[in-house]
Amino acid sequence: MATLTDEQLDYIVADLYAHGIRLEGLRDNLLDHICILVENKLDAGGDFEAAYAAIIPTFYRRELYELEEEALFLASLRGPYVVLSRGWFFVLAFALVLGPWLAYIGQWWFFQRPMGDIRSSFDVIGMACVLDVYPVLTVFVLFLTPNRFDPLIPWGSKILLGFKPLIRVLPQPAASGNTIFP
Amino acid sequence: MVYSTELLKGTLKTIVLKLLADNKKMYGYEITQRVKELTQEKIQITEGALYPTLHSLEADGLVTTETEYIGKRVRKYYTLSVAGKTRAKEKVSELASFVQTMTLLLDLKPKAI
Repeated sequence: MATLTDEQLDYIVADLYAHGIRLEGLRDNLLDHICILVENKLDAGGDFEAAYAAIIPTFYRRELYELEEEALFLASLRGPYVVLSRGWFFVLAFALVLGPWLAYIGQWWFFQRPMGDIRSSFDVIGMACVLDVYPVLTVFVLFLTPNRFDPLIPWGSKILLGFKPLIRVLPQPAASGNTIFP
Repeated sequence: MVYSTELLKGTLKTIVLKLLADNKKMYGYEITQRVKELTQEKIQITEGALYPTLHSLEADGLVTTETEYIGKRVRKYYTLSVAGKTRAKEKVSELASFVQTMTLLLDLKPKAI
């Protein structure tokens, strides 16, 4: 049975990328499917370029990117979640957790004038934020969310808090399109 | 005769869930081939419809995946989750009821494919 070479696999991956397939999971699925079909054609006689050129148009109606659009569209149909992008999460966490303490320390340092009796509580809360809460939240976000949105890894793309998703990494382009059977 | 896409719309999830319920774990190409084989090629699931549906099922937590490396490429196997098994039964039952209703509505006599 014919097996595609690494160079041929790289060619297909590059071509899928060039056709707008950015989601890694979708690309993996398409790559495997295309490889099987190409290998079947090679077994029946033929060359790689001709086999690939014949197979790829059968995957779409207008553009290969339709598949990614459809995956994003279906992903967008899921229930209403509290959604926060990773970037906005860090901004919010900084503003709520770390920012006030840093502002207080900054002011104290600038004026060399501690705010009397609230200083000790700010110190305690601030140190707790710096040493515990913020790093833990950061670690959670970095390890439990991917660098980019991919509906194929939905459970890794959000932090579960009380079994409800708190954070999901959003896709960059807006999901659109509604082609079910290209 | 290959059925029109209009007829197949709305049934794809049920088809995939039922196949996974019957076959433990499957990958994309295998699903398309199994459907072809079972329906004597009257239903041909396109890749453009299958993969977004699989992704959607995964996103809904109805299927889980495991990957197998074949050289440099990755093969994703899909398996029904516990919720997926329940949903598969519900969807098949719903579709069976729908077919029954259509049979009555259109005054059809069931026959083998």
